Amino acid sequence: MTLLKRLIDWFDVRIGAREVVARELTGYLLPRNINTWYSMGSILLFIFAMQMVTGILLLIYYVPDADKAFKSVTFIMNEVPFGWLIRLCHAVGSNLMVLVLLFHMLSVLFMNSYKSPRELNWLTGFILFTMIQGISLTGYLLPWSQLSFWATTVATNSVGAIPAIGPYLVEFLRGGKLVGPPTLGRFFALHVVLIPTGIGALIGAHLFFLQRTGVSTPPFGQKETANQWKGDGYRYESHPEGIPFFPVYALEDIRSIFIYLACFLGVVFFFPNLLFTKEAFLPANPLQTPLHIKPEWYFLANYQTLKIFPSEFLGLAVQGIAMTFLALLPFIDRDPERHPLKRPLFMVCALGGLLLWIGLGVWGHYS
Amino acid sequence: MDNSGRRTFLGVCLGGLAAAVTAAATWPVYRYLAPRSTATTAARVEIPEKDVPEGEAKFFDFGGASAVLVRKPGGGLIALSAVCTHMGCIVQWEKDTQDFLCPCHGGHYTADGGVISGPPPKSLAKLPFIVANGIITIG
Repeated sequence: MTLLKRLIDWFDVRIGAREVVARELTGYLLPRNINTWYSMGSILLFIFAMQMVTGILLLIYYVPDADKAFKSVTFIMNEVPFGWLIRLCHAVGSNLMVLVLLFHMLSVLFMNSYKSPRELNWLTGFILFTMIQGISLTGYLLPWSQLSFWATTVATNSVGAIPAIGPYLVEFLRGGKLVGPPTLGRFFALHVVLIPTGIGALIGAHLFFLQRTGVSTPPFGQKETANQWKGDGYRYESHPEGIPFFPVYALEDIRSIFIYLACFLGVVFFFPNLLFTKEAFLPANPLQTPLHIKPEWYFLANYQTLKIFPSEFLGLAVQGIAMTFLALLPFIDRDPERHPLKRPLFMVCALGGLLLWIGLGVWGHYS
Repeated sequence: MDNSGRRTFLGVCLGGLAAAVTAAATWPVYRYLAPRSTATTAARVEIPEKDVPEGEAKFFDFGGASAVLVRKPGGGLIALSAVCTHMGCIVQWEKDTQDFLCPCHGGHYTADGGVISGPPPKSLAKLPFIVANGIITIG
Protein backbone atom coordinates (compact mmCIF):
# COMPACT_ATOMS: atom_id res chain seq x y z
CA MET A 1 0.00 0.00 0.00
CA THR A 2 2.89 2.30 0.86
CA LEU A 3 4.41 1.61 -2.57
CA LEU A 4 1.11 2.48 -4.29
CA LYS A 5 0.80 5.64 -2.21
CA ARG A 6 4.37 6.62 -3.08
CA LEU A 7 3.66 6.01 -6.76
CA ILE A 8 0.52 8.18 -6.61
CA ASP A 9 2.48 10.86 -4.71
CA TRP A 10 5.17 10.75 -7.43
CA PHE A 11 2.58 11.50 -10.09
CA ASP A 12 0.65 13.95 -7.90
CA VAL A 13 3.56 16.29 -7.29
CA ARG A 14 4.28 16.36 -11.03
CA ILE A 15 0.87 16.54 -12.72
CA GLY A 16 -1.58 17.16 -9.88
CA ALA A 17 -3.13 13.69 -10.33
CA ARG A 18 -5.28 13.90 -7.18
CA GLU A 19 -6.83 17.13 -8.38
CA VAL A 20 -7.73 15.53 -11.74
CA VAL A 21 -9.26 12.51 -9.95
CA ALA A 22 -11.20 14.79 -7.58
CA ARG A 23 -12.52 16.91 -10.44
CA GLU A 24 -13.19 14.25 -13.12
CA LEU A 25 -13.96 11.12 -11.09
CA THR A 26 -14.85 11.37 -7.40
CA GLY A 27 -15.95 15.00 -7.68
CA TYR A 28 -17.78 14.49 -10.98
CA LEU A 29 -21.35 14.40 -9.71
CA LEU A 30 -24.25 12.87 -11.61
CA PRO A 31 -28.01 13.31 -11.07
CA ARG A 32 -29.39 11.21 -8.22
CA ASN A 33 -32.17 9.79 -10.43
CA ILE A 34 -29.72 8.64 -13.13
CA ASN A 35 -30.69 5.27 -14.64
CA THR A 36 -29.13 2.29 -16.45
CA TRP A 37 -29.82 3.78 -19.90
CA TYR A 38 -27.05 6.27 -19.18
CA SER A 39 -24.58 3.35 -19.35
CA MET A 40 -25.17 2.83 -23.07
CA GLY A 41 -22.42 5.32 -23.95
CA SER A 42 -19.87 3.46 -21.82
CA ILE A 43 -20.93 0.14 -23.37
CA LEU A 44 -20.48 1.70 -26.82
CA LEU A 45 -16.97 2.90 -25.94
CA PHE A 46 -16.17 -0.62 -24.78
CA ILE A 47 -17.56 -2.14 -28.00
CA PHE A 48 -15.62 0.33 -30.14
CA ALA A 49 -12.41 -0.61 -28.31
CA MET A 50 -13.21 -4.32 -28.83
CA GLN A 51 -13.82 -3.72 -32.53
CA MET A 52 -10.49 -1.92 -32.82
CA VAL A 53 -8.60 -4.72 -31.07
CA THR A 54 -10.28 -7.59 -32.99
CA GLY A 55 -9.98 -5.60 -36.24
CA ILE A 56 -6.23 -5.13 -35.76
CA LEU A 57 -5.88 -8.84 -34.98
CA LEU A 58 -7.80 -9.76 -38.15
CA LEU A 59 -5.51 -7.51 -40.21
CA ILE A 60 -2.61 -9.82 -39.36
CA TYR A 61 -4.04 -12.63 -41.52
CA TYR A 62 -6.58 -10.92 -43.80
CA VAL A 63 -5.44 -10.22 -47.39
CA PRO A 64 -7.36 -7.39 -49.15
CA ASP A 65 -7.02 -8.93 -52.61
CA ALA A 66 -10.02 -10.22 -54.55
CA ASP A 67 -8.21 -13.50 -55.31
CA LYS A 68 -7.12 -14.08 -51.74
CA ALA A 69 -9.64 -12.35 -49.44
CA PHE A 70 -12.12 -15.23 -49.13
CA LYS A 71 -9.31 -17.77 -48.68
CA SER A 72 -7.69 -15.63 -46.01
CA VAL A 73 -10.99 -15.37 -44.08
CA THR A 74 -11.49 -19.16 -44.41
CA PHE A 75 -7.92 -19.59 -43.18
CA ILE A 76 -8.64 -17.37 -40.17
CA MET A 77 -11.82 -19.31 -39.39
CA ASN A 78 -10.41 -22.84 -39.86
CA GLU A 79 -6.64 -22.80 -39.47
CA VAL A 80 -5.48 -19.98 -37.21
CA PRO A 81 -5.78 -20.89 -33.50
CA PHE A 82 -8.84 -19.03 -32.12
CA GLY A 83 -9.20 -17.22 -35.45
CA TRP A 84 -12.89 -18.16 -35.44
CA LEU A 85 -13.27 -16.45 -32.06
CA ILE A 86 -11.58 -13.22 -33.16
CA ARG A 87 -13.56 -13.09 -36.41
CA LEU A 88 -16.90 -13.88 -34.75
CA CYS A 89 -16.23 -11.30 -32.03
CA HIS A 90 -15.65 -8.71 -34.77
CA ALA A 91 -18.71 -9.71 -36.84
CA VAL A 92 -21.10 -10.06 -33.87
CA GLY A 93 -19.62 -6.96 -32.22
CA SER A 94 -20.38 -4.83 -35.27
CA ASN A 95 -24.03 -5.87 -35.18
CA LEU A 96 -24.36 -5.33 -31.45
CA MET A 97 -22.65 -1.96 -31.79
CA VAL A 98 -25.49 -0.83 -34.08
CA LEU A 99 -28.08 -2.30 -31.67
CA VAL A 100 -26.60 -0.63 -28.56
CA LEU A 101 -26.21 2.63 -30.49
CA LEU A 102 -29.91 2.45 -31.34
CA PHE A 103 -30.73 1.89 -27.64
CA HIS A 104 -28.52 4.86 -26.73
CA MET A 105 -30.22 7.12 -29.25
CA LEU A 106 -33.72 5.93 -28.30
CA SER A 107 -33.04 6.55 -24.61
CA VAL A 108 -31.82 10.08 -25.43
CA LEU A 109 -34.90 10.55 -27.62
CA PHE A 110 -37.46 9.34 -25.08
CA MET A 111 -35.81 11.17 -22.17
CA ASN A 112 -35.72 14.27 -24.38
CA SER A 113 -32.04 14.80 -23.57
CA TYR A 114 -31.33 16.04 -27.10
CA LYS A 115 -32.93 19.41 -26.34
CA SER A 116 -30.95 22.64 -26.10
CA PRO A 117 -28.20 23.19 -25.14
CA ARG A 118 -27.34 19.63 -26.26
CA GLU A 119 -27.96 20.04 -30.00
CA LEU A 120 -24.28 19.36 -30.75
CA ASN A 121 -24.27 16.19 -28.63
CA TRP A 122 -27.24 14.88 -30.65
CA LEU A 123 -25.79 15.98 -33.98
CA THR A 124 -22.37 14.35 -33.37
CA GLY A 125 -24.18 11.24 -32.09
CA PHE A 126 -26.32 11.14 -35.21
CA ILE A 127 -23.29 11.50 -37.50
CA LEU A 128 -21.63 8.73 -35.48
CA PHE A 129 -24.68 6.55 -36.17
CA THR A 130 -24.36 7.06 -39.94
CA MET A 131 -20.60 6.42 -39.74
CA ILE A 132 -21.20 3.19 -37.82
CA GLN A 133 -23.59 2.16 -40.60
CA GLY A 134 -20.88 3.09 -43.12
CA ILE A 135 -18.18 1.09 -41.36
CA SER A 136 -20.54 -1.90 -41.16
CA LEU A 137 -21.39 -1.65 -44.86
CA THR A 138 -17.76 -1.40 -45.96
CA GLY A 139 -16.72 -4.22 -43.62
CA TYR A 140 -19.46 -6.44 -45.01
CA LEU A 141 -17.68 -6.65 -48.40
CA LEU A 142 -14.27 -7.62 -47.05
CA PRO A 143 -14.82 -11.42 -46.67
CA TRP A 144 -15.51 -11.41 -50.45
CA SER A 145 -18.22 -14.05 -50.12
CA GLN A 146 -21.30 -14.38 -52.30
CA LEU A 147 -23.30 -12.66 -49.52
CA SER A 148 -20.91 -9.74 -49.17
CA PHE A 149 -20.42 -9.32 -52.93
CA TRP A 150 -24.11 -9.23 -53.83
CA ALA A 151 -25.25 -7.29 -50.76
CA THR A 152 -22.68 -4.63 -51.71
CA THR A 153 -23.87 -4.72 -55.34
CA VAL A 154 -27.45 -4.03 -54.18
CA ALA A 155 -26.44 -1.39 -51.61
CA THR A 156 -24.18 0.57 -53.96
CA ASN A 157 -26.66 0.27 -56.81
CA SER A 158 -29.31 2.25 -54.91
CA VAL A 159 -27.07 5.35 -55.00
CA GLY A 160 -27.62 5.33 -58.78
CA ALA A 161 -31.19 6.62 -58.22
CA ILE A 162 -29.86 10.09 -57.40
CA PRO A 163 -30.72 12.25 -60.44
CA ALA A 164 -27.92 13.29 -62.83
CA ILE A 165 -24.88 12.28 -60.78
CA GLY A 166 -26.21 8.93 -59.50
CA PRO A 167 -24.66 6.62 -62.14
CA TYR A 168 -21.29 8.37 -61.84
CA LEU A 169 -21.46 8.17 -58.02
CA VAL A 170 -22.06 4.40 -58.19
CA GLU A 171 -19.08 3.99 -60.51
CA PHE A 172 -16.95 6.22 -58.28
CA LEU A 173 -17.95 4.26 -55.18
CA ARG A 174 -17.20 0.93 -56.83
CA GLY A 175 -14.10 2.02 -58.71
CA GLY A 176 -15.64 0.55 -61.86
CA LYS A 177 -18.95 -0.23 -63.51
CA LEU A 178 -19.50 -3.30 -61.31
CA VAL A 179 -18.39 -4.40 -57.86
CA GLY A 180 -14.92 -5.89 -58.35
CA PRO A 181 -11.33 -5.87 -57.09
CA PRO A 182 -11.14 -2.02 -57.12
CA THR A 183 -14.23 -1.90 -54.85
CA LEU A 184 -12.49 -4.17 -52.34
CA GLY A 185 -9.46 -1.84 -52.23
CA ARG A 186 -11.66 1.22 -51.70
CA PHE A 187 -13.88 -0.36 -49.08
CA PHE A 188 -10.83 -1.77 -47.27
CA ALA A 189 -9.23 1.68 -47.01
CA LEU A 190 -12.54 3.18 -45.84
CA HIS A 191 -13.19 0.42 -43.32
CA VAL A 192 -9.71 0.21 -41.84
CA VAL A 193 -8.45 3.80 -41.88
CA LEU A 194 -10.77 6.57 -42.96
CA ILE A 195 -14.03 5.77 -41.16
CA PRO A 196 -12.42 4.57 -37.88
CA THR A 197 -10.38 7.80 -37.76
CA GLY A 198 -13.56 9.81 -38.31
CA ILE A 199 -15.40 7.81 -35.65
CA GLY A 200 -12.54 8.34 -33.18
CA ALA A 201 -12.54 12.10 -33.82
CA LEU A 202 -16.32 12.33 -33.48
CA ILE A 203 -16.31 10.30 -30.25
CA GLY A 204 -13.79 12.85 -28.96
CA ALA A 205 -16.07 15.74 -29.98
CA HIS A 206 -19.12 13.98 -28.50
CA LEU A 207 -17.38 13.47 -25.14
CA PHE A 208 -16.07 17.04 -25.21
CA PHE A 209 -19.62 18.39 -25.66
CA LEU A 210 -20.83 16.11 -22.85
CA GLN A 211 -18.05 17.40 -20.61
CA ARG A 212 -18.90 21.03 -21.39
CA THR A 213 -22.70 20.80 -21.03
CA GLY A 214 -22.77 18.30 -18.15
CA VAL A 215 -24.92 15.18 -17.87
CA SER A 216 -28.62 15.83 -18.40
CA THR A 217 -31.06 15.12 -15.57
CA PRO A 218 -33.54 12.35 -16.42
CA PRO A 219 -37.08 13.77 -16.49
CA PHE A 220 -38.45 10.91 -14.37
CA GLY A 221 -39.27 11.47 -10.69
CA GLN A 222 -38.85 15.24 -10.96
CA LYS A 223 -41.43 17.90 -10.09
CA GLU A 224 -40.17 20.34 -12.67
CA THR A 225 -39.53 18.59 -15.99
CA ALA A 226 -39.33 21.58 -18.33
CA ASN A 227 -36.00 22.54 -19.88
CA GLN A 228 -34.53 25.28 -17.67
CA TRP A 229 -31.93 26.55 -20.12
CA LYS A 230 -33.04 29.85 -21.67
CA GLY A 231 -30.22 30.28 -24.15
CA ASP A 232 -28.99 33.45 -22.42
CA GLY A 233 -25.47 32.22 -21.76
CA TYR A 234 -23.19 29.23 -21.25
CA ARG A 235 -24.14 27.09 -18.29
CA TYR A 236 -22.72 23.79 -17.08
CA GLU A 237 -25.52 21.58 -15.74
CA SER A 238 -24.10 20.61 -12.37
CA HIS A 239 -25.66 18.26 -9.82
CA PRO A 240 -24.44 19.50 -6.41
CA GLU A 241 -26.48 16.90 -4.48
CA GLY A 242 -25.66 14.15 -6.98
CA ILE A 243 -23.80 10.86 -6.79
CA PRO A 244 -20.08 10.67 -7.64
CA PHE A 245 -19.16 9.09 -10.97
CA PHE A 246 -16.39 7.16 -9.21
CA PRO A 247 -16.92 4.76 -7.57
CA VAL A 248 -20.75 4.79 -7.63
CA TYR A 249 -21.74 5.11 -11.28
CA ALA A 250 -18.47 3.65 -12.63
CA LEU A 251 -19.49 0.38 -10.94
CA GLU A 252 -22.91 0.57 -12.62
CA ASP A 253 -21.14 1.15 -15.95
CA ILE A 254 -18.89 -1.88 -15.41
CA ARG A 255 -21.88 -4.00 -14.40
CA SER A 256 -23.71 -2.95 -17.59
CA ILE A 257 -20.63 -3.79 -19.66
CA PHE A 258 -20.55 -7.28 -18.12
CA ILE A 259 -24.26 -7.80 -18.88
CA TYR A 260 -23.52 -6.76 -22.46
CA LEU A 261 -20.53 -9.15 -22.55
CA ALA A 262 -22.76 -12.02 -21.37
CA CYS A 263 -25.25 -11.36 -24.22
CA PHE A 264 -22.42 -10.86 -26.73
CA LEU A 265 -20.59 -14.05 -25.81
CA GLY A 266 -23.93 -15.89 -25.72
CA VAL A 267 -24.35 -15.10 -29.42
CA VAL A 268 -20.67 -15.84 -30.23
CA PHE A 269 -20.67 -19.24 -28.52
CA PHE A 270 -24.26 -20.49 -28.87
CA PHE A 271 -25.56 -18.83 -32.06
CA PRO A 272 -22.41 -18.26 -34.14
CA ASN A 273 -24.28 -18.58 -37.44
CA LEU A 274 -27.07 -16.21 -36.48
CA LEU A 275 -25.71 -13.52 -38.80
CA PHE A 276 -24.53 -15.74 -41.64
CA THR A 277 -26.59 -17.22 -44.45
CA LYS A 278 -25.23 -20.07 -46.59
CA GLU A 279 -24.03 -17.51 -49.16
CA ALA A 280 -21.55 -16.24 -46.56
CA PHE A 281 -19.64 -19.53 -46.93
CA LEU A 282 -19.28 -19.37 -50.73
CA PRO A 283 -16.59 -17.30 -52.48
CA ALA A 284 -17.84 -14.32 -54.50
CA ASN A 285 -18.85 -15.23 -58.03
CA PRO A 286 -19.63 -12.17 -60.19
CA LEU A 287 -21.37 -14.40 -62.76
CA GLN A 288 -23.80 -16.11 -60.40
CA THR A 289 -26.37 -14.03 -58.52
CA PRO A 290 -27.80 -15.92 -55.53
CA LEU A 291 -31.54 -15.81 -54.80
CA HIS A 292 -33.01 -13.46 -52.18
CA ILE A 293 -29.93 -11.52 -51.18
CA LYS A 294 -30.83 -9.37 -48.18
CA PRO A 295 -28.83 -6.66 -46.44
CA GLU A 296 -27.96 -6.73 -42.73
CA TRP A 297 -30.93 -6.39 -40.33
CA TYR A 298 -30.33 -2.68 -39.70
CA PHE A 299 -30.58 -1.90 -43.43
CA LEU A 300 -33.73 -4.00 -43.98
CA ALA A 301 -36.10 -1.05 -43.43
CA ASN A 302 -34.15 1.03 -45.99
CA TYR A 303 -34.18 -1.93 -48.38
CA GLN A 304 -37.95 -2.39 -48.03
CA THR A 305 -38.60 1.35 -48.38
CA LEU A 306 -36.77 1.33 -51.72
CA LYS A 307 -38.93 -1.61 -52.81
CA ILE A 308 -42.34 -0.21 -51.89
CA PHE A 309 -41.95 3.09 -53.71
CA PRO A 310 -42.67 3.01 -57.44
CA SER A 311 -39.48 4.94 -58.18
CA GLU A 312 -36.15 4.28 -56.50
CA PHE A 313 -35.47 8.01 -56.36
CA LEU A 314 -38.66 8.59 -54.37
CA GLY A 315 -37.64 5.85 -51.95
CA LEU A 316 -34.22 7.44 -51.48
CA ALA A 317 -35.72 10.93 -51.13
CA VAL A 318 -38.13 9.79 -48.38
CA GLN A 319 -35.25 8.20 -46.47
CA GLY A 320 -33.12 11.30 -46.96
CA ILE A 321 -35.91 13.53 -45.60
CA ALA A 322 -36.48 11.21 -42.61
CA MET A 323 -32.76 11.13 -41.77
CA THR A 324 -32.41 14.92 -42.12
CA PHE A 325 -35.46 15.42 -39.88
CA LEU A 326 -33.97 13.15 -37.21
CA ALA A 327 -30.53 14.81 -37.46
CA LEU A 328 -32.07 18.26 -37.01
CA LEU A 329 -34.64 17.21 -34.39
CA PRO A 330 -33.23 19.41 -31.55
CA PHE A 331 -33.50 22.44 -33.83
CA ILE A 332 -37.07 21.58 -34.89
CA ASP A 333 -38.50 20.43 -31.53
CA ARG A 334 -38.34 23.58 -29.35
CA ASP A 335 -40.91 22.50 -26.74
CA PRO A 336 -39.22 22.93 -23.31
CA GLU A 337 -41.16 20.02 -21.75
CA ARG A 338 -38.94 16.95 -21.28
CA HIS A 339 -41.16 14.33 -19.64
CA PRO A 340 -42.33 11.94 -22.39
CA LEU A 341 -45.67 11.26 -20.68
CA LYS A 342 -46.44 14.98 -20.74
CA ARG A 343 -45.87 14.99 -24.50
CA PRO A 344 -48.50 12.64 -25.98
CA LEU A 345 -48.08 13.83 -29.59
CA PHE A 346 -44.32 13.33 -29.40
CA MET A 347 -44.80 9.86 -27.88
CA VAL A 348 -47.24 8.83 -30.62
CA CYS A 349 -44.87 10.08 -33.35
CA ALA A 350 -41.74 8.55 -31.77
CA LEU A 351 -43.33 5.17 -31.02
CA GLY A 352 -45.09 5.19 -34.42
CA GLY A 353 -41.78 5.89 -36.17
CA LEU A 354 -40.04 3.14 -34.23
CA LEU A 355 -42.80 0.60 -34.96
CA LEU A 356 -42.78 1.63 -38.65
CA TRP A 357 -39.01 1.07 -38.80
CA ILE A 358 -39.34 -2.36 -37.12
CA GLY A 359 -42.34 -3.24 -39.33
CA LEU A 360 -40.51 -2.32 -42.53
CA GLY A 361 -37.53 -4.36 -41.38
CA VAL A 362 -39.67 -7.46 -40.67
CA TRP A 363 -41.47 -6.96 -44.00
CA GLY A 364 -38.11 -6.64 -45.77
CA HIS A 365 -36.87 -9.83 -44.10
CA TYR A 366 -39.88 -11.92 -45.18
CA SER A 367 -40.48 -10.29 -48.56
CA MET B 1 -24.51 -4.00 5.19
CA ASP B 2 -24.15 -0.26 4.52
CA ASN B 3 -23.90 1.26 1.05
CA SER B 4 -20.13 1.61 1.05
CA GLY B 5 -19.75 -2.02 2.17
CA ARG B 6 -22.04 -3.21 -0.62
CA ARG B 7 -20.19 -1.01 -3.11
CA THR B 8 -16.83 -2.42 -2.03
CA PHE B 9 -18.23 -5.96 -2.36
CA LEU B 10 -19.59 -5.18 -5.85
CA GLY B 11 -16.28 -3.58 -6.81
CA VAL B 12 -14.30 -6.64 -5.67
CA CYS B 13 -16.69 -8.98 -7.55
CA LEU B 14 -16.53 -6.91 -10.75
CA GLY B 15 -12.75 -6.53 -10.44
CA GLY B 16 -12.41 -10.30 -10.03
CA LEU B 17 -14.68 -10.88 -13.00
CA ALA B 18 -12.66 -8.41 -15.08
CA ALA B 19 -9.43 -10.19 -14.12
CA ALA B 20 -10.99 -13.57 -15.04
CA VAL B 21 -12.25 -12.25 -18.40
CA THR B 22 -8.84 -10.70 -19.16
CA ALA B 23 -7.08 -13.95 -18.26
CA ALA B 24 -9.55 -15.96 -20.38
CA ALA B 25 -9.03 -13.62 -23.35
CA THR B 26 -5.24 -13.59 -23.09
CA TRP B 27 -4.75 -17.24 -24.08
CA PRO B 28 -6.78 -17.10 -27.35
CA VAL B 29 -5.05 -13.83 -28.34
CA TYR B 30 -1.62 -15.32 -27.58
CA ARG B 31 -2.41 -18.49 -29.56
CA TYR B 32 -3.78 -16.36 -32.44
CA LEU B 33 -0.57 -14.32 -32.58
CA ALA B 34 1.94 -17.11 -31.90
CA PRO B 35 3.89 -18.28 -34.97
CA ARG B 36 2.40 -21.37 -36.54
CA SER B 37 4.26 -24.55 -35.75
CA THR B 38 6.28 -25.91 -38.67
CA ALA B 39 6.80 -29.27 -37.00
CA THR B 40 3.68 -30.70 -38.58
CA THR B 41 4.61 -29.62 -42.12
CA ALA B 42 6.37 -32.24 -44.24
CA ALA B 43 10.01 -32.30 -43.23
CA ARG B 44 10.95 -34.09 -46.43
CA VAL B 45 11.41 -32.47 -49.81
CA GLU B 46 11.70 -34.45 -53.04
CA ILE B 47 13.51 -33.00 -56.05
CA PRO B 48 14.11 -34.84 -59.35
CA GLU B 49 17.83 -35.34 -60.05
CA LYS B 50 17.50 -33.78 -63.50
CA ASP B 51 16.52 -30.44 -61.85
CA VAL B 52 20.06 -30.03 -60.49
CA PRO B 53 22.54 -30.09 -63.40
CA GLU B 54 26.28 -30.18 -62.82
CA GLY B 55 27.69 -26.89 -61.50
CA GLU B 56 24.21 -25.59 -60.63
CA ALA B 57 22.34 -24.99 -57.37
CA LYS B 58 18.63 -25.37 -56.62
CA PHE B 59 17.05 -23.40 -53.79
CA PHE B 60 13.95 -24.73 -52.05
CA ASP B 61 11.88 -24.32 -48.91
CA PHE B 62 12.78 -26.80 -46.17
CA GLY B 63 10.82 -26.85 -42.90
CA GLY B 64 9.96 -23.16 -43.18
CA ALA B 65 13.53 -22.04 -43.99
CA SER B 66 15.60 -21.79 -47.19
CA ALA B 67 17.86 -24.61 -48.29
CA VAL B 68 19.97 -25.32 -51.34
CA LEU B 69 21.03 -28.40 -53.29
CA VAL B 70 24.34 -28.18 -55.21
CA ARG B 71 25.76 -30.58 -57.79
CA LYS B 72 29.49 -30.02 -57.86
CA PRO B 73 31.58 -30.52 -61.00
CA GLY B 74 32.17 -34.26 -61.16
CA GLY B 75 28.62 -35.06 -60.00
CA GLY B 76 28.86 -34.91 -56.20
CA LEU B 77 25.65 -33.68 -54.49
CA ILE B 78 25.38 -31.66 -51.31
CA ALA B 79 22.35 -30.26 -49.47
CA LEU B 80 22.85 -27.20 -47.26
CA SER B 81 20.90 -24.69 -45.28
CA ALA B 82 20.88 -21.45 -47.34
CA VAL B 83 20.69 -19.29 -44.22
CA CYS B 84 23.94 -17.41 -43.63
CA THR B 85 25.37 -18.18 -40.20
CA HIS B 86 26.28 -14.50 -39.66
CA MET B 87 23.01 -12.53 -39.66
CA GLY B 88 20.50 -14.94 -41.20
CA CYS B 89 20.42 -13.60 -44.78
CA ILE B 90 19.98 -16.04 -47.68
CA VAL B 91 23.19 -16.91 -49.51
CA GLN B 92 23.42 -16.68 -53.33
CA TRP B 93 25.05 -19.29 -55.62
CA GLU B 94 27.85 -17.90 -57.77
CA LYS B 95 28.05 -20.17 -60.79
CA ASP B 96 31.25 -18.66 -62.15
CA THR B 97 33.30 -19.21 -59.01
CA GLN B 98 31.29 -22.23 -57.80
CA ASP B 99 30.83 -20.81 -54.31
CA PHE B 100 28.25 -19.04 -52.17
CA LEU B 101 28.15 -15.32 -51.44
CA CYS B 102 26.03 -13.72 -48.73
CA PRO B 103 25.13 -10.30 -50.20
CA CYS B 104 24.34 -8.76 -46.80
CA HIS B 105 27.89 -8.53 -45.43
CA GLY B 106 30.03 -10.26 -48.07
CA GLY B 107 30.46 -13.67 -46.43
CA HIS B 108 31.91 -16.32 -48.77
CA TYR B 109 31.33 -20.06 -48.47
CA THR B 110 32.64 -22.97 -50.55
CA ALA B 111 30.23 -25.20 -52.48
CA ASP B 112 30.45 -27.56 -49.46
CA GLY B 113 29.35 -24.77 -47.12
CA GLY B 114 32.72 -24.08 -45.50
CA VAL B 115 33.63 -20.47 -44.69
CA ILE B 116 36.14 -18.91 -47.13
CA SER B 117 36.09 -15.30 -45.96
CA GLY B 118 33.98 -12.60 -44.37
CA PRO B 119 32.13 -12.46 -41.06
CA PRO B 120 30.25 -15.85 -40.95
CA PRO B 121 31.31 -17.58 -37.71
CA LYS B 122 30.68 -21.14 -38.96
CA SER B 123 29.89 -23.26 -42.02
CA LEU B 124 26.43 -23.61 -43.57
CA ALA B 125 24.52 -26.46 -41.93
CA LYS B 126 24.49 -29.70 -43.94
CA LEU B 127 21.17 -31.44 -44.56
CA PRO B 128 20.76 -35.22 -44.87
CA PHE B 129 19.52 -36.60 -48.19
CA ILE B 130 19.23 -39.81 -50.18
CA VAL B 131 19.05 -40.45 -53.91
CA ALA B 132 16.85 -43.22 -55.23
CA ASN B 133 15.24 -43.81 -58.64
CA GLY B 134 16.29 -40.39 -59.91
CA ILE B 135 14.69 -38.57 -56.94
CA ILE B 136 16.67 -36.69 -54.31
CA THR B 137 14.91 -36.82 -50.94
CA ILE B 138 16.10 -34.23 -48.46
CA GLY B 139 15.30 -34.63 -44.78
